[in-house]
Amino acid sequence: MKRISLLTAFILFFVCVIFTVAQAQDTLKLSIPLPLTGTNAKFGEIEKKSYEIAMEEINAKGGVKGKKIVLEFEDSQGKPEVSRAIVEKLIDVKKQPVIFGEYSSSCSKAIAAVAEERKVPYMVVTGATDDITQQRYKYVFRMNPTNAYYATGFMSFLKEVVKPKTIAVLYESSDFGTSGAEDMVKQAQKAGIKVLVKEQYEKGAVDFKPILSKVKAAKPDVIYMVSYVMDAALLMRQIKELRIDANLYAGGAAGFAIPEFIQNAKEASEFVMTATLWSPQVKYPGAKEFAEKYKRLYKDYPSYHGAEAYSALYIIADVLNRAKTWTPDDIRVAMKATNMMTAFGPIKFEDKEGYTNQNFIDTLVMQVIKGKHETIWPEKYASAKYVYPIPKWRDRR
Amino acid sequence: MAQLELFLQTLISGFLLGGLYALIALGMALIMGVMRIINLAHGDFMMIAMYIAYWLFTFFGIDPYLSVFVAAPLLFLFGLGIQKYLLTPVMKVESILPHNQVILTVGLAMVFSNLATVFFTGNYRSTPVSYASSAWYLTDYWKNSPIELSLSMPWTLSFIIAVIITIALWIFLTKTDTGKSIRATSQDLEAALLMGVNVNWVRMVTLGIGLALVACAGCLFIPIYYLYPALGKQFTNVGFVITVIGGLGSTDGAIIGGLILGLFESLTATYIGMGWAPAGRFAIFVAALVFLPGGVSSILRRWRLGK
Repeated sequence: MKRISLLTAFILFFVCVIFTVAQAQDTLKLSIPLPLTGTNAKFGEIEKKSYEIAMEEINAKGGVKGKKIVLEFEDSQGKPEVSRAIVEKLIDVKKQPVIFGEYSSSCSKAIAAVAEERKVPYMVVTGATDDITQQRYKYVFRMNPTNAYYATGFMSFLKEVVKPKTIAVLYESSDFGTSGAEDMVKQAQKAGIKVLVKEQYEKGAVDFKPILSKVKAAKPDVIYMVSYVMDAALLMRQIKELRIDANLYAGGAAGFAIPEFIQNAKEASEFVMTATLWSPQVKYPGAKEFAEKYKRLYKDYPSYHGAEAYSALYIIADVLNRAKTWTPDDIRVAMKATNMMTAFGPIKFEDKEGYTNQNFIDTLVMQVIKGKHETIWPEKYASAKYVYPIPKWRDRR
Repeated sequence: MAQLELFLQTLISGFLLGGLYALIALGMALIMGVMRIINLAHGDFMMIAMYIAYWLFTFFGIDPYLSVFVAAPLLFLFGLGIQKYLLTPVMKVESILPHNQVILTVGLAMVFSNLATVFFTGNYRSTPVSYASSAWYLTDYWKNSPIELSLSMPWTLSFIIAVIITIALWIFLTKTDTGKSIRATSQDLEAALLMGVNVNWVRMVTLGIGLALVACAGCLFIPIYYLYPALGKQFTNVGFVITVIGGLGSTDGAIIGGLILGLFESLTATYIGMGWAPAGRFAIFVAALVFLPGGVSSILRRWRLGK
């Protein structure tokens, strides 16, 4: 009796193995860690949808070396320790030869360390903290510009149009917020702008009025904020409540650059500017088609995160097509040689300015005009003329 | 002048925030007083109430403040059910750990936040009411005022409603038979049993009222805040800290504790830095446990007896 059950178990096991092997032959399974629950779930969702659009398009064109891509998403909950565990599993158990994805800087940083240690190439898609690609990691690549570059477009707007003397910087106490604020302060000082207030806050705060009152007392020309989704809306709403009249309100991408910001802050979002990496109006091949397709499917334009995820899968497909074999080392060599155009912009992993395997592209400035994000800077990409100076709160209807 | 303006504006913010915090902690303190357990799913019940308010607003355009009348009764019934079918049976089970019920509330918290993620996705939601960023300004009423203060309309409304609910609770606890039974059970369980109080029924009602209170807090919070499935933990923490400051199980203490925490958070944010607010919160939590184990309520009691 015991024997028979053992035998059946054995046979079952074999059937399973054969089945998976057979299936594995014409598909290529790739797992992507993303925050699908938790506080960053909104970004995870935008990226997941975009990856899926890219997957369908690539598969419709025949896949990668004749294999169809099958994507699986692992929920990291936005926690670095969870994303670390996920990637360890992908590398050690599933033997996935290349890792990409994740949203926040903290999580990307955790994965980068694992990938370097296990010598498996990892492509950062959205994590923007400068130091991820400043550690001379050989196996870590980054397609998005770093925090230090997020603000370059915005700084040129400040220098040429606003010419402010003082600035206040508010930021979330995360990796992304801190490094974004540090870079802003550095660039402001270089441009001769005095930093009056530099304050951090904890994500999920209910009441920003105390620090905003402090900002109001300091009377800065520009208020620059680095926040994720809802904090951005709360900040602007409470700025309106307190009638803090600065010449310009600006956000450092992330929470300020997605449509939810306008929906939640409503009239308080009008004329707010934000740095961004991409907008549906940029003139890269495929950008407009992707934006329209996303809008048709999900009723809203994607933020730059969507474009990054969408292009990321194209880059991975391109790399896998060029790699001699699908071992981590050959993939790394192929990735290093990447030189392609995507909907997100040109991709090329370079070693310069202290960065290793880093992609560099122009960043843009958007402004909320009549309840819509419009690209306003650089002027060659502009979809609308910027509104400056902006009216005072008291004079708004 | 600018410094005075900053100070007064900070006090206003702290006071308004404290009033709302107090409402969250009130239900927790009530439950703790009667059942001697800390309800670690408190914030998640608030999250459920906020979803009710959110859907009512989105589908029927019902103002979040009006949804108090829907969410509070629903959560009251929910509380009766949970006490009857989950907490009471667990109480009877023998176990090595004395506080099986507390562990059960932790489990409930996880179940609720995960179910909410499954059903409603991880999206952030808010009810963009038309008055979300309206405020009253001192200079609008007093033209030559040397300082400018603003009083946010939704925050003030929420605060006033919180005060009304608190007064209603006080009347209920002091004037009605059920209220008196609740207080009796909270003061001395055995004596209440001997006096013929139906303790199981009192427990059910208490949990129901506790959840109804936090449901009100949820409805008052959503116009000024936002909503996502994992939001509960943060408010459970707030409620827990206040309950400890206030003196475990004391409702008067919870109100004062809420105001203390609100003012404390605002003052730290202005004068030390907002990043320090969570650290400060737990610093006073520890300080209260060490230096004032009975919480604010022990001071209140001493003061009353002294008179």
